[in-house]
Amino acid sequence: MRQLALALVVALAFAALPLLTTSNYIVGVGVSALIFTVAAAALNLIYGYTGLLSFAQLGFWGVGGYASALTVVSFGGSFWWGVIWAAAINAMLAILIGFPMLRTSRHAFVIGSLTFALLATLVARDWVDLTRGPLGIPNLPPPSAFGIAFDTTAKFYWIAWAFSVAMLALLYALCSSRIGRTLIAIRQNEDLVRAQGISPTPYKLSAFTISAAVTGAAGGVYSFHLGIIDPTFLDFYYMQTFLIIVIIGGTGSFWGVLASGIVLSALPEALRFSADFRMIIYGAILVLAMFVMPGGVAGWFRDRAIARQREALG
Amino acid sequence: MSAILDVRDLRKAYAGVSALDGISFAVEAGSITGLIGPNGSGKSTAIDCISGFQKLDGGRVVLADADITGRSPHLIARAGLTRTFQTVRIYERLSLRDNLAIATQQFDPATWIDELLRTRRYREAVAAGDSRARELVALVGLERYWDIETGVLSYGQKKLVALAAALMPRPRIVVLDEPVAGVNPTRIREIEAALASLNRAGETFLIVEHNVEFITSLCHRVIVLEEGRKLAEGTSAEIHADSRVLEAYLGTTSEIAAAEMRATA
Repeated sequence: MRQLALALVVALAFAALPLLTTSNYIVGVGVSALIFTVAAAALNLIYGYTGLLSFAQLGFWGVGGYASALTVVSFGGSFWWGVIWAAAINAMLAILIGFPMLRTSRHAFVIGSLTFALLATLVARDWVDLTRGPLGIPNLPPPSAFGIAFDTTAKFYWIAWAFSVAMLALLYALCSSRIGRTLIAIRQNEDLVRAQGISPTPYKLSAFTISAAVTGAAGGVYSFHLGIIDPTFLDFYYMQTFLIIVIIGGTGSFWGVLASGIVLSALPEALRFSADFRMIIYGAILVLAMFVMPGGVAGWFRDRAIARQREALG
Repeated sequence: MSAILDVRDLRKAYAGVSALDGISFAVEAGSITGLIGPNGSGKSTAIDCISGFQKLDGGRVVLADADITGRSPHLIARAGLTRTFQTVRIYERLSLRDNLAIATQQFDPATWIDELLRTRRYREAVAAGDSRARELVALVGLERYWDIETGVLSYGQKKLVALAAALMPRPRIVVLDEPVAGVNPTRIREIEAALASLNRAGETFLIVEHNVEFITSLCHRVIVLEEGRKLAEGTSAEIHADSRVLEAYLGTTSEIAAAEMRATA
């Protein structure tokens, strides 16, 4: 309960960001931090909790971005419908590719998911009739609702904020429940789970599907933040960012990934005081973090807690 | 007494090499039945086939009048047969309480929505699970570890966690795969006492074990396997007196005699 109260306070504090600064640049970093954190939390569900390293997230992110952009530009729908389609199409894709992939080994799953991501990149670049190829789709119109156009970065920030809070609340409700506990159990010992009457496949497929839908919706929101979508939206940079957030935060820790999502999205920007060296410093911080905390931030705290328990037991 | 588990003519071969060659036996409700035999005699294959972790080439497995032959492990568990594993398997990153809660969650009616809304159905299911778990934890003497991640426990304690988890859903029969292998002698006596007391309370066990002393002191009935066939079956006393069993375990009687000669010389 105390955790949730703290989370509420932090969420409200984040809502206030556009009131604290007039800088579009800082608010824009805030939008990225929120959206990246959602995508990382979705990756954490399938990788951190269930133990399935999915590179397909990059594909879902891209398909989501294109789905929402095309809903508006080619099919005349609204931004809101675009985000819903982004989630729905990715959920269907995840079931379609997840079902055969989850029948293979965990290693084959990683390769299969990577293949899907690469395939999505090819489609974005080469299916010119649908995606307009390398030129992309520029000038995505700002979303509007109840007669209000969210046409500035500050206004768009509220959409990103509300979306992130809703998605993170959904993921928290899953991860902190019996379902999350069962996913952790599946990651640790699938045979034991089966010996206890639980069929792992529906759990794994659901986790993959929900993770895909949330990632796709996040991509859908993010493409409208950028105002343009082209094949660079499927750059491996995004996958790498989500993965770094999850690993530094601590795989399988909801709050650890949340904290690291906000910090790591803002960090490269905070390092701009040294334009020449900022990515080198960023890299050095990551390497150092992995040396000191191989289990991520959450893993570090957990190790301390276990050491205390051992001591208390004598 | 009637048979709760009836195994008929189990057959299993790996790449043409027969691991089970027509094994039949029955486990009476409320009994402790032991399954012993030298390495490679087919004990582990037999229980893997019974619990659904390996596909049978032939034969039938009947659990409480229901044919469970060829079903998936999770369906066999739901039908009332739970098991432990030879190399101890527990969820080391979850607390003792969560380890036991997962073992029974498939058997209660609470859904995710129930949990989200904290409905009465959910609260009752959790309360029932907790009270069963407390009971078992007290029985195996792990009360002080209730809220602690089970990764910190010793190997013997982990075996007790696995045993308690297998008992959580009140199964019809519990299959234990080498419950005391690698466990220190004091702990073995504790496990033996716990099993005997559970059995008095009505639990049925099928135990695979190398430790002949443990098996014969605990089991009502013992089945001896050798090279995929049933070599002998009977009470502990009968098995102890059976020269074929001695041979299977220790070599031929003449070799035993020779060994005794050397020992006295």
